[in-house]
Amino acid sequence: MSATVSEKGDAPAGKQPDQLFTLKRWNAVAVWSWDVECDTCAICRVQVMDACLRCQADNKQEGCVVVWGECNHSFHNCCMSLWVEQNNRCPLCQKEWVIQGTGK
Amino acid sequence: MTMLVGHQQTFDEKWPAMQPVILKLLSQESVTRQEWQDLFWNVHSVCMWDDKGGPEKVHSALKTNISNFIKDAQSRIRSHHEGNALLRAYIVEWQKFFSQCVYLPEPFSQLEKSLSDRTNKRKQEQQSIVRKLMLDSWNKNVFHSISDNLKDRTMVLIQEEREGKSVDAQLVIGVRQSFVNLCSNAEDPLQIYHEHFESSYVQATEKHYNSAAENYLNDNGVREYMKYAQQKLSEENQRATRYLESSSVSVLDKHCVSVLVSRFTDAMLAECPHMIRENETDQLSLMFNLMNRVPDGINPIIKYLSEYILQQGLTDMKECRDIITTDSEKYIDLLLVLFQRFSTLVKKSFNDDPRLLTARDKAFKEVVNDYSVFSLELQTKAKQNTVKLPPESRCPELLANFCDMLLRKTPLSKKLSTDEIDAKLKDVLLVLKYVANKDVFMRYHKAHLTRRLILGTSADNEKEENMLEGLREVGMPADYVNKLARMFQDIKVSEDLNQQFKENRKDRASDVANIKILNAGAWSRRSERIPVSLPALLEDLIPDVEEFYKSKHTGRKLHWNHLLSNGIMTFKTDIGQYEIEITTFQMSVLHVWNSRPREAISFESLRLATQLPDAELRKTLWSLVSNGKLKRQVLVCEPSVTSLKGFNDSSIFNINHQFCLLKGGKTQKRGRVNLIGRLQLSTEKNREEDNEGITQLRILRTQEAIVKILKMRKKITNAQLQTELVEILKNMFLPQKKLIKQQIEWLIDNKYMKRDDDDINSFVYIT
Repeated sequence: MSATVSEKGDAPAGKQPDQLFTLKRWNAVAVWSWDVECDTCAICRVQVMDACLRCQADNKQEGCVVVWGECNHSFHNCCMSLWVEQNNRCPLCQKEWVIQGTGK
Repeated sequence: MTMLVGHQQTFDEKWPAMQPVILKLLSQESVTRQEWQDLFWNVHSVCMWDDKGGPEKVHSALKTNISNFIKDAQSRIRSHHEGNALLRAYIVEWQKFFSQCVYLPEPFSQLEKSLSDRTNKRKQEQQSIVRKLMLDSWNKNVFHSISDNLKDRTMVLIQEEREGKSVDAQLVIGVRQSFVNLCSNAEDPLQIYHEHFESSYVQATEKHYNSAAENYLNDNGVREYMKYAQQKLSEENQRATRYLESSSVSVLDKHCVSVLVSRFTDAMLAECPHMIRENETDQLSLMFNLMNRVPDGINPIIKYLSEYILQQGLTDMKECRDIITTDSEKYIDLLLVLFQRFSTLVKKSFNDDPRLLTARDKAFKEVVNDYSVFSLELQTKAKQNTVKLPPESRCPELLANFCDMLLRKTPLSKKLSTDEIDAKLKDVLLVLKYVANKDVFMRYHKAHLTRRLILGTSADNEKEENMLEGLREVGMPADYVNKLARMFQDIKVSEDLNQQFKENRKDRASDVANIKILNAGAWSRRSERIPVSLPALLEDLIPDVEEFYKSKHTGRKLHWNHLLSNGIMTFKTDIGQYEIEITTFQMSVLHVWNSRPREAISFESLRLATQLPDAELRKTLWSLVSNGKLKRQVLVCEPSVTSLKGFNDSSIFNINHQFCLLKGGKTQKRGRVNLIGRLQLSTEKNREEDNEGITQLRILRTQEAIVKILKMRKKITNAQLQTELVEILKNMFLPQKKLIKQQIEWLIDNKYMKRDDDDINSFVYIT
């Protein structure tokens, strides 16, 4: 986080029960997204945060993850596994497709 | 042998034995079994063995005998001259004769065979020769000469029955039988019946009602007349069933309708608007039944009903303008009351006829989507494709608000029983069906759901899920509903993760914190990063959460959304100790005072300490110095301001150490209060973008749909394109003509399609 606590003497709240404000609960919200350079899967033209069209149709949104190649391009894993059956190159840069990792 | 047998089997030998039996049969005298059987045998013998014209001789002898018999009958009938007596005498003779037409032909079946063998095998002929002989003779000798007389007499009888006298039905039926059976035209056996009997019957009926109906209407007025017409139609139908061949009933019905109903449609319809207004369902039902029998007769009723629904709906809404524009519950209630009223009207008056149900739906839809009472302005400032949409009804927004009140823990949802809530949610779905711009509803509904899930304020999870199914069933777009479903799943997944995290850490920070890590795709795509400084305890927690998350998942990045996060702090004042539910921004602001509780802090210093952007800091401070729920505020500002715009850099803020909660005017030493209010989902700047988002999305959806249609059709007329567009888009929004036109122009400019060279009103897809 860029923000830091600016005031001096800011001790953990719980240890001074007579403080003005004592923190009792914090419900923190964060959103996650795939760590990708391009939001859209170049194969199916659907955003990578959404399931690919096949998985949407089969209602298997949860299992539809992203795959990264050594070239740093990323696609839906389902889309890419079909793609490599035809052509083992990255559809974007034409380099040989080597998997760097898959999302989990 | 042959000679011997032949000698015994000639016509001349056998006839003397046959004739008396035939005569007995004709005059319906009793015949012994032996005589009956002998007749069969004799006919058979003559036909088989008399090769000198035996069958022909039998035939002509039979003919003579029948003729003679008929002549006697004729003279018996002719002795009566006066109408009824003649008719009665005829019927007596006819019935006797007609019943013999069944029996007499039987013994002569061999004759039939012999004769038809010789006369070119006309075996297919339905009627037996003997029967035909009998009926033809009767027709020639008796019926032909008096048929007009009989028919006229019959019509008189029927007229008398219509006027309430009792009449011997057998007389009428007998005459009809004569007409039906005495036709020698094999192609159309009912020819004589149609030409004489049926047409006279129909004419007489028409003539009767021509004057009777008009008189009744003039004497009794339209309302009574409708009852009369209804009654007469059914009476005439019953009479026709009795006296006419079944094929004629519908013919008569048609004539009755034209003489009893069609002539007076204007008079009846003139009453229709009044009846609808006054909810006179019995009268309307009567009118509907009558008009339904006239071709296109109910079209005016449909028109009146639509006008009434639209006018009544709008009038009611305008009358309650002040209440319903602010209270979504009242608004939805009003819509439902109207809907129920219209539906009951259609059910009771028109028996839920599909055509009138459609009219109800169409008119109600207009009421729902009318924007004269309150409108929602959607516009876009996008550079390319500037579109200003016409104002729309705020109905979808209010509907979503109402839905939220039912699903959230609110005074309303606590007051209602679970069945009542279910019923009201069903109502929401019902109204939603009539909403033209469902995309607006979707947006508000999703925002409300986000708040409920983040703050954990859902009243009942099962109801949330039922609602989801309900949305699916009313045809909301699947991708939208799936996203909502995903939000529910996500919350569950996130709860498990939170549990694991807590077990992993087991320290003060993880004890205080609950983490929700959500899927950006399902929740919100855009969320800007707003800088804010957090209490050190929380600040330190964040990298640990990220670390922990990395150990569970790969390839994911986290983005903290402090706009949504919130918490509880204990606030210790001079009077007591209170729990305040606050947003993270409020938390950040208040925390500044922890190290210097009694100090006055300027706006500028607060900005430095919290790192919040100006707009967010103003809003947060405003919520702490002027909360509508509180009698005593948490912060005091000097000089005091009337709106959040009044703050400037030198505005001074102090903690109100006299803060306390009041209950019935008494100060409370402890208590809990919620200062979050309505959880803000996005910043001001983003909210504008959200509004534009709807318009932008509509533009894209329209373009997408046009291209989709053209891709399929290759070439399409403008009119057909409009229709298909509405069909595709209606589950999201109702595309305006202007919007469609602009998008077509855009697509043409960008070479996705072009106008047809030969026909300016057709479009062609460009591949």
